[in-house]
Amino acid sequence: MNKLILGRYLPGDSLIYQLDPRGKFLITFYFIGIVFLANNVVSYGFLLLFVLFAVYLSKINLGFFLRGLRPMFWLILFTVVLQMFFTPSKTPLWSFGILTLSKEGLIISAYIFIRFVLIIFVSTLLTLTTTPIEISDSIESILKPLKAIKFPVTQVALMLSIALRFVPLLIDETAKIMDAQRARGVDFGEGGLIKRIKSFVPILIPLFVSSFSIAYDLAIAMESRGYKDGEGRSKYRVLSWSMRDTLAAIVMLVITVILLFIRSY
Amino acid sequence: MENIISIKDVTYTYPDSEAPAIKNLSLDIHSNEWLSIVGKNGSGKSTLTKLIDGLIECDSGTIEIAGQIINEENIWEAREKIGIIFQNPDHQFVGATVEDDVAFGLENQGVPRDKMVKEVNEALKMVDMQEYKTRDPQSLSGGQKQRVAIAGVLATKPQIIIMDESTSMLDPNGRKTVLDLIKRLRHEQNMTIISITHDIEETQLSERIVVLNDGQVVKDDEPKSIYDLGPELTNFGLEEPFSSQVASSLRDTIKLPEGYLNEEELIDNVWKSFSKM
Amino acid sequence: MEIIFKNVTHSYEANNPLAALGLDDVSVDIKNKKFTAIIGKTGSGKSTLVRHINALLKPTSGTITVGNREITPDTNNKNLKPLRKNVGMVFQFPESQLFEDTVEKDIMFGPMNFGVSEEDAKLAAHDMIKLVGLDEKYLSKSPFDLSGGQMRRVAIAGVLATHPETIILDEPTAGLDPVGRKEIMDLFKNLQSEGKTVILITHNMDDVANYADEVIVMHDGRKVAEGTPMEVFNNQKLLRDDMLTLPQSAIFAQKLSKKYFKFDQLPITISDLSTEIKRQINGD
Repeated sequence: MNKLILGRYLPGDSLIYQLDPRGKFLITFYFIGIVFLANNVVSYGFLLLFVLFAVYLSKINLGFFLRGLRPMFWLILFTVVLQMFFTPSKTPLWSFGILTLSKEGLIISAYIFIRFVLIIFVSTLLTLTTTPIEISDSIESILKPLKAIKFPVTQVALMLSIALRFVPLLIDETAKIMDAQRARGVDFGEGGLIKRIKSFVPILIPLFVSSFSIAYDLAIAMESRGYKDGEGRSKYRVLSWSMRDTLAAIVMLVITVILLFIRSY
Repeated sequence: MENIISIKDVTYTYPDSEAPAIKNLSLDIHSNEWLSIVGKNGSGKSTLTKLIDGLIECDSGTIEIAGQIINEENIWEAREKIGIIFQNPDHQFVGATVEDDVAFGLENQGVPRDKMVKEVNEALKMVDMQEYKTRDPQSLSGGQKQRVAIAGVLATKPQIIIMDESTSMLDPNGRKTVLDLIKRLRHEQNMTIISITHDIEETQLSERIVVLNDGQVVKDDEPKSIYDLGPELTNFGLEEPFSSQVASSLRDTIKLPEGYLNEEELIDNVWKSFSKM
Repeated sequence: MEIIFKNVTHSYEANNPLAALGLDDVSVDIKNKKFTAIIGKTGSGKSTLVRHINALLKPTSGTITVGNREITPDTNNKNLKPLRKNVGMVFQFPESQLFEDTVEKDIMFGPMNFGVSEEDAKLAAHDMIKLVGLDEKYLSKSPFDLSGGQMRRVAIAGVLATHPETIILDEPTAGLDPVGRKEIMDLFKNLQSEGKTVILITHNMDDVANYADEVIVMHDGRKVAEGTPMEVFNNQKLLRDDMLTLPQSAIFAQKLSKKYFKFDQLPITISDLSTEIKRQINGD
């Protein structure tokens, strides 16, 4: 669990940390969208430079981002290899049966690789510099218009923030239950597939039981503190949009324009 | 003495059970007293807490809080007068950070933000946790988490604080800081404290002890008289206070006054018998 | 089994900001068939230490010898079963490990993982449920229908059912009422007198004074003292450095010694305390 960098917040302070989470959240998704506009070496190179610059601004060690790639390693490898050998080409460098290796295939797989790196780096940048609660606040704020169609935005946001709050607790609980069952002779990851799946039953059942008991306790605690149905509540957290957030948005627009220009170049 | 809570002939049976958890129970709790409720696991202590806070509804009987019989309409109002600190510090932490958690009750009451910021700060100051304001709960010790829970309750300015075994999962340091805090707050804030506990030493802080057994009040007296029960205390899931145990092991040699002696009284008496020698 | 820690260091992953403290060059000898208490503040490394005994954690450096088995940084995860069968471990709030649909099956789970036949495991379940003070009629019930205290006993029965030679207890009585606590502690003391090695992690110094033969004091991942309860609770340096709290009897003796009384060694149990008071009053 400690290896999973994507989705973890790293306490720190820099320009990227100070940006409004709503802006960061939207910019991240916007950026993931425009990654798909890149179509040649220059445009990919340009985006890569931009992301590396953002990483530099965040003052977070590049190592954290590289480690973020690790859990995705097999997915990346699989996709890249698939592109490398299955891109049809009239001028193959090498071919064997349905496998074809060509210059086009190599270039496309290199692009795909960079695309993965870009997407993982920016999402890692978002989660490393934004606390889960800020992300859930952003979602609430972005979804606010949906209130008009009676979508329970505040309740969903509270649900989300509570869920986020309990993730580390459940991770601890899982580790504890696993230790207890290992001490009782369970071998995780040994034997055939069926045996392996079976060995998770002694983890899953206790985990469900404790999740329910936590949920029950929490519901009682919330009610005792006067939580009714989410209506008529005031909010302690406020998000504030400042000049630099507007600037960040403008930078994104400029990036898009440059990208469109390079693309048709 | 004025009653802040008055429970009259209350019975409650859990939906999936046959025997009632609380049986025709009547109990008056006075304003500003510190009351301990003790009893074995399963004697109905925690059920009583939930009934008082209207988290479950009694089958028969009435509960009056600050002069009002609670019902479905006024329960939210009554709840604002009561703050509960539960047993497991991890299971009552709602906010993502300390300050968010303290603000939760105020948010529920729709308190305007400016006022909320002020009250969150004040509450954190009262429990001496200001410097942890932006920390996430995972980085706190058990005792610190309970102090945050207390701050969350104090922020809404209740008249009654119920401690539902709130120190039982803490290490000795955590337990001591939480109890010292409650002692201090009680004098500063003029609150009624109801403490549900197994810890006999903790009951020494209170003015009255109510012993529950099988959903009924079986004893209701000042601590000294309850401690006089001696070994019989174990029938109610309690142990004898340390000073009583020492006293009974000394009585065959040293002449001590009848009845329960607290630690200071015992020490004085032991000194006396030494100087007489 | 004798358990020997030799220069054991354990560091949790360096990049984990929430990492609990590990172990720092711990060498200690846990004696066979004794009742050893491990004490120290929260986060001092007590739980980390005992998790090495059944190789739930492996040392970053150093070795642990458990009977004839050696655990080193290179010990692999295969063939740990004989070790784990011999070292039973009762975790904090062990009721959270229950998962089977009957109490009987849950108690049988451990033994059967270690290759005991179904018949023998059943026998063990019947023996153990009585040992932990519950009636045999509970065997057919679902563990989730029991009270918290009963679930605790079932979980303990499940650990004892493999007949481990060494039993490790991580605050086994937390949250129980005083009567239940005493019953559970007496149970473990009995097991020790029948020849088992018992290792107890606790914050309750009276339990240490009443039950333990040996004490290990941990602080910031290091072992700062070991010895009999009498020696440890009379270790002035530990008290000065605030690494230790005292049993109630010792605190009482300290108060008495403000006038008339003089204790060369602080008594740590009620019976020691009263014997000493009587002796001094009678002036022998």
